[in-house]
Amino acid sequence: MALPPHISAGPAGGSSRTPVYALVGNPNCGKSTLFNALTGLKQKVGNYPGVTVEKKVGTAYSQHGQPMTVIDLPGAYSLAARSPDEAVTRDVLLGRRSDTAQPDRILCIVDATNLERNLYLVHQILDLGRPVILVVNMMDLAAQAGLSLRLSQLENQLGIPVIPCEAANGRGIIELRLAMSRPDLPLSRHAWAVPAPIAPAIAEIQASLISHDHKGPLIARAEALLLLTDQDSVRVAGSTPLHPRTAEILRTWEKRWNDEGTDWAGSLVNSRYDAIGRLAAEVVLQSGTSGPTTSDKIDAVATHPLWGWLVLGAVMLLLFLSIFTLAEYPMNWIDAHVAALANAVKGAMAPGDLRDLITDGAIAGVGGVIIFLPQILILFFFIGLLESTGYMARAAFIMDRLMSRVGLNGKSFIPLLSSYACAIPGIMATRTIEDSKDRLVTILVAPLMSCSARLPVYLLMIAALVPGDRVPLLTKVGIMLLMYALGTVGAFGFAWLFKRTLLKGAPPLMIMELPPYRLPRLRDVALHMIERAWIFLRRAGTVILGISIVLWFLTAYPKAPADATPAQQLAQSFAGRAGHLLEPAIKPLGFDWQIGIGLITSFAAREVFVSTMGVVFNTESSDKDTTPLRKAMLAARWPDGRMLFTPLTCITLMIFYVFAMQCMSTIAVVKRETNGWKWPIFQTAYMTGTAWILSLVVYQAGRGLGF
Amino acid sequence: MSRSPIPAYLSLCQLPSGGVGRVCKLEGDMEFCQRVREMGIGESTFVTKVSGTGTILCQVNGTRIALSHGAAKNILVEQLAGR
Repeated sequence: MALPPHISAGPAGGSSRTPVYALVGNPNCGKSTLFNALTGLKQKVGNYPGVTVEKKVGTAYSQHGQPMTVIDLPGAYSLAARSPDEAVTRDVLLGRRSDTAQPDRILCIVDATNLERNLYLVHQILDLGRPVILVVNMMDLAAQAGLSLRLSQLENQLGIPVIPCEAANGRGIIELRLAMSRPDLPLSRHAWAVPAPIAPAIAEIQASLISHDHKGPLIARAEALLLLTDQDSVRVAGSTPLHPRTAEILRTWEKRWNDEGTDWAGSLVNSRYDAIGRLAAEVVLQSGTSGPTTSDKIDAVATHPLWGWLVLGAVMLLLFLSIFTLAEYPMNWIDAHVAALANAVKGAMAPGDLRDLITDGAIAGVGGVIIFLPQILILFFFIGLLESTGYMARAAFIMDRLMSRVGLNGKSFIPLLSSYACAIPGIMATRTIEDSKDRLVTILVAPLMSCSARLPVYLLMIAALVPGDRVPLLTKVGIMLLMYALGTVGAFGFAWLFKRTLLKGAPPLMIMELPPYRLPRLRDVALHMIERAWIFLRRAGTVILGISIVLWFLTAYPKAPADATPAQQLAQSFAGRAGHLLEPAIKPLGFDWQIGIGLITSFAAREVFVSTMGVVFNTESSDKDTTPLRKAMLAARWPDGRMLFTPLTCITLMIFYVFAMQCMSTIAVVKRETNGWKWPIFQTAYMTGTAWILSLVVYQAGRGLGF
Repeated sequence: MSRSPIPAYLSLCQLPSGGVGRVCKLEGDMEFCQRVREMGIGESTFVTKVSGTGTILCQVNGTRIALSHGAAKNILVEQLAGR
């Protein structure tokens, strides 16, 4: 590999601005590993405005220590986008997004073991007329598979630097950094013959893009080519629309070709494939065949019709056991420290509203949410592990048949699995689902999977339901599992219903690559986990902090006389009045106004129910130790002297929480994801409506049966 | 089971597990065909079917690809070898 021809000048044409690199490549070609290797911990994760596609930006340093910005774009097989994240990749590269500067240079990473397929995207990217560095990753795996690649030939043909690399072992990173540090990068020499009947159209669209859409000449040509092959079905929020004149030229040409019977898109795509085929034939030499790889041997078990299910079951079991057992220790620790902090503030400040606002509002509210951090970390550790080993795609493959029964494809499995911890990452994970209807159905049902915030509610209700320690642990676990099963069945049932009514669509088609198994890269998994934790903490620090303060205000005002007990104060506060207002609607479910307050406050987040019950029944209990609260709840009576928390009420309340949409953060994410209020409102209505009806049926039937 | 003559085209669903086929034709709309090509299953590529009756698992140029039944049905191959 040639060393850069200079030593002194700074990168990217010597301009003083930090050069911006975009990192693009097919899914599963080691893009994230390369990104992490280049940028280390200097990463920022955000969102592209209007879509929940993650925007990962990092800083790499040139050989001379100058910073270089690297944008990690979502993986794509081509620029013809089919899902929102692919659309973001396309739009950033074409400079269509106002929120992201068009990259100065492009790092294109390809998988050496499957060069021909990867070259399709490379070919489209070279059309953009930007300096490109081609990184050929997984050279070691290609050699193992008996492939030899003539990279100098590839470099000659394309006219751009080609760097062999093994990102997982860190090989080739120095050479890549050297190439990135070059002030001058050659533009590609690549040329391919556009079919003659289409060439005039490309010229005309290109001219219009230059004059009306203010594009550079080369990028305009690339966009013209793309407009003709891509039906441009996926448009995402935040990208600039085409100028009407350009759109009109496009329509005129398409109409003309339609009348003539010219298959313009097909012939364009084919001529590109011809060019790639010729190139690949020169570069890739198959120097021997290899037997089944280790990956193939593992797959023989992991994708087996019977063993595959057993493996998946075991993995899921391990996942849940870890979430519910390992997390307990750090959760207790956080709980104790939050309580200690609240006490310290209580001790340090004079009594008054400000003190109560800080301790009962801010610290208790945010603390009650941060307590779930360990579970979320464990879940993401597992999901990261499953993804980085390549098993996740197998799980989707195994689940595909089951999912197709309800009209979804295997790709919906990953979001639903994530939703067991929290619906928010689950909903964010739907962005890889290509079909927009399948994606929407998955978003609509994801919050039915019992998330970790329901856990405290279940625990409290089970404690009230099966009093005493005489009941075997198995009964409690059994009730808990029943609630999880109920939510899961509900999610599948509603998916089935929505796919047949509201969001009718073609039977789901899944085409998914199963990456070879790899040893997990703990560094990448850890980075992924830290990213998630940070997003979660930021949310706790902003949205949830705000809600907690508002809730505190609603329970603290208007003020009761000074000698009132906390329970009396709550009863006549705004929240208490709202509980009374709600009582007629929930009385048929066996809930009184006090439970009503809990339902209202826990609309912010389900776990708030437990702390609200603590305030309502005036006990000094923490989230973990529910014994005193349980006793107080069992002592609670209706005005006519009947017991409030009968076993039937407890079961009904749990069922209510399985289905009800009691989470403002989820509503906010769904709103952002679906670009409007229509779907979040529908989702809240159907979920809470189902919760109310089912609770009513269960409670009234239970009463009828004499419980 | 008697050996029946191999028909000219089989869909990827019909190809027996372990069989190798050469892709002859992609059916379905343009978007589907393009997507399948982008995944490396273009005309005249060799596909090895690994397993599956519902969801199909196949191997193309060393890459494993899972296809739902509906997708595999649209990929027509000419059987070359296999058990």
